[in-house]
Amino acid sequence: MHSPKIIFDEEWTSSLIERVEQNGPWENWQMYKMAIEAEKELLIEEFEGLRAPSHLPHLSIFPHQKEAAERVLTEMNGKAILADEVGLGKTIEAGLILKEYMIRGLVKKVLILVPASLVTQWCSELNQKFYIPAVEQRKHYVWDQCDVIVSSIDTAKREPHRSTIFEQEYDMIIIDEAHKLKNKNTKNYQFVRQLKKKFCLLLTATPVQNKLSEVFHLISILKPGHLGNEEAFAKEFKDADQHEELRQIVQKVMIRNRRSDSTMDWPKRVVKTVEIDFSEEEKELYDTVSALKNRWGNKYQWSLFPFTVLTLQRECCSSREAVYMTLKGLLGQEDMAPALKEELERIMTMVENVSRHAKAEKALELIQSIDDKVIIFTEYRATQLYLQWYFAQHGIKAVPFRGGFKRSKKDWMKQLFKDRAQVLIATEAGGEGINLQFCHHMINYDLPWNPMRIEQRIGRIHRLGQEHDVHIYNFAVANTVEDHILKTLYKKIGLFEEVIGKLDDILEKMREEELEMHISNILNHSESDGEIRIKLDNLTACIDAHEEENERVADRRA
Amino acid sequence: MLQTDVHNYLRTFFTENESPIIEESDGHIHIQLSIDMDKRLMNRPFYWQYLEKIGGVPNPMKLTLITDDSKAPEDLKGERIHFGAPRLHHIFRIAKELGSHVRMYEKVARTTLADGSISLLPWLNVNMKLSYEAEKKKDRFVSLGLNLVNGEMVDGFADQMIHLPLEPVIPDYCFTVSPLIKPASGMNRIRMYLENELLKEDHTWATQAVEKMNQDLRLLETFYTDEDDRPESYENEKEAITRQYDPKISMNVINGGLFYLHQHPLSIKRKILPYRK
Repeated sequence: MHSPKIIFDEEWTSSLIERVEQNGPWENWQMYKMAIEAEKELLIEEFEGLRAPSHLPHLSIFPHQKEAAERVLTEMNGKAILADEVGLGKTIEAGLILKEYMIRGLVKKVLILVPASLVTQWCSELNQKFYIPAVEQRKHYVWDQCDVIVSSIDTAKREPHRSTIFEQEYDMIIIDEAHKLKNKNTKNYQFVRQLKKKFCLLLTATPVQNKLSEVFHLISILKPGHLGNEEAFAKEFKDADQHEELRQIVQKVMIRNRRSDSTMDWPKRVVKTVEIDFSEEEKELYDTVSALKNRWGNKYQWSLFPFTVLTLQRECCSSREAVYMTLKGLLGQEDMAPALKEELERIMTMVENVSRHAKAEKALELIQSIDDKVIIFTEYRATQLYLQWYFAQHGIKAVPFRGGFKRSKKDWMKQLFKDRAQVLIATEAGGEGINLQFCHHMINYDLPWNPMRIEQRIGRIHRLGQEHDVHIYNFAVANTVEDHILKTLYKKIGLFEEVIGKLDDILEKMREEELEMHISNILNHSESDGEIRIKLDNLTACIDAHEEENERVADRRA
Repeated sequence: MLQTDVHNYLRTFFTENESPIIEESDGHIHIQLSIDMDKRLMNRPFYWQYLEKIGGVPNPMKLTLITDDSKAPEDLKGERIHFGAPRLHHIFRIAKELGSHVRMYEKVARTTLADGSISLLPWLNVNMKLSYEAEKKKDRFVSLGLNLVNGEMVDGFADQMIHLPLEPVIPDYCFTVSPLIKPASGMNRIRMYLENELLKEDHTWATQAVEKMNQDLRLLETFYTDEDDRPESYENEKEAITRQYDPKISMNVINGGLFYLHQHPLSIKRKILPYRK
């Protein structure tokens, strides 16, 4: 049997001897008793179990969050990947685990690395919900002077911070959006590998457990050697994604709750497709742009451009401003075939002549009838600016939100939206990580071709803490690429269903990028609408087949 | 700790520390802080520094603490306080500071010298939190009393003391017996005694932690097998794993002191106590 070291705190003894020699001072009897009472309350007599909830009477903790925290503490020894689906409250789980370790006195020094846009949010949640005195990294000296620090990796990995951080011995490291660390050759990855840490939590919403080949590096941050070394891993698990044994090893360090497993009552998702008919001018523009595909799409001259006709088509569906920006860029290029240039200039004139924008009108009408906070997502910055201007013309205040905004500006915009504006117009990059539970309406002004991104959009408002049903309006212009995507693909795969488990399954089988590539290939290389439809149907069937396969496997296991 | 316990705790704490309760309901207390409590609790060193420099009249703050919203007056502005609140933990720490070392005498009711004076025996008391710590942790409260004349050790000492009338000055017609054991060697005895006791305990938890540690260290070795020159991260990780699992027991003193007693601590009759005091 192992005999543990015994450490005795001498400080009190020397103070006692001093007082005996100097005949005092002696302290208050009542305080003596109260100190004992307090200490007895604070001490924790069991290795197992969660004490944190008794310190957090105002926090509602869901059963799956409590179980996750307990598992991390007892089975995983404080090293885990928290991979719950979007909106199930990974941050709460992480906070709960951190709090428990802090209460038990096992953790004092903590570094929390999150995307820059989330630094403030993490900090305020830890302070307000968990009474953990987390500090935002703003000045260099915080690294050694504060115990709990929230920072972005990009700041932390740079000098002068970097070397100071490497000197610290952290008790716990928490990394949000950890799936970004799967490439071991990046500076971020190498930085994280060098941190000194006792306990470690990696948070990710991207389903990683079925892409086991990618998990290797993530787990090596957590527990190097859990999957052997890199070479052996590659050899032994050649077809890693199919490897049941490997899956089980990964399970030992990963927690993944799904919405479909949780017993919670989720607010409903009310999904509505809003079909829009182009105005005459817009239709003409769209058709002319579409015609480019057959005339130029396969030609050398076009191949010099960094994008396809499809891009222009999608932009047409979004706003004339979006097309305009792209065309302007194109026309600025030298050495363009005169015939092509002429044609593009003709289209440019058409763009300039578009006077009515059917989609924007529809959006305005909808927002007026909703009479409540609305988020609009668009893929294009030009559309974002245009909509803001357009709504302002009609007395509706809208604030923009972009990924490129500084942290403070993001916080400010969110606050403006909450307090003063009816509409928030966000571009894709702005979607990640902001929580807007106070809003219950969302318009997908145009649709991204990566279903996970749609889920992330929805996840901004449809998450734990949302008390109302959530209304999602998908805009699609009739007889355009948008129409195909929405009707033929997204609806069929059940993308907007209340529970997203299905999407998760799809993405586990097929990489996000792969799906996106399939879709754009189909749309780019089909000769007719009919062909597009058939090919998209095939893709859907393919996805469904995966799913049936999954079910069969599940049945077999059961 | 229930909210009513928190409430009572706060009331006693402030009253004992010259900070009178101005107003109170079942759901809140409104306190006039003493200068000392203001300095300890309110975190405004610049104000006090400035005041002392100019020699102004100190104006310590008032503090409103809400222990139960439903029982506090409506629209009352104040700080909500509960078991997890940082403010309460701050108060716990202050209590620990202000009650760290005591010297108490048993209150012996004796009005004349008719039967001769009464002798009080010296006891050294230490209250401790023992923490069993590896990658997980548990604590235990221990209170020991050592008779400084004959070396007798009594467990559960503090729990007995709260049943005894005590006072900080020696009562009339009493005298203290000089200790044969000095406080420093008394502390040594207590420490040795505890270490001995601890060694007799079952330490499966420590064995398990060491097993886990060795397992993680083995995994680490596998991870780096192909590398002849171990990178810095290897040493870092090795050290971190040791830090994470290495089992130890730490003895942290909460408080303690000298007690001069007429009765033997174990012969004290336990009263059924009202809540505190």
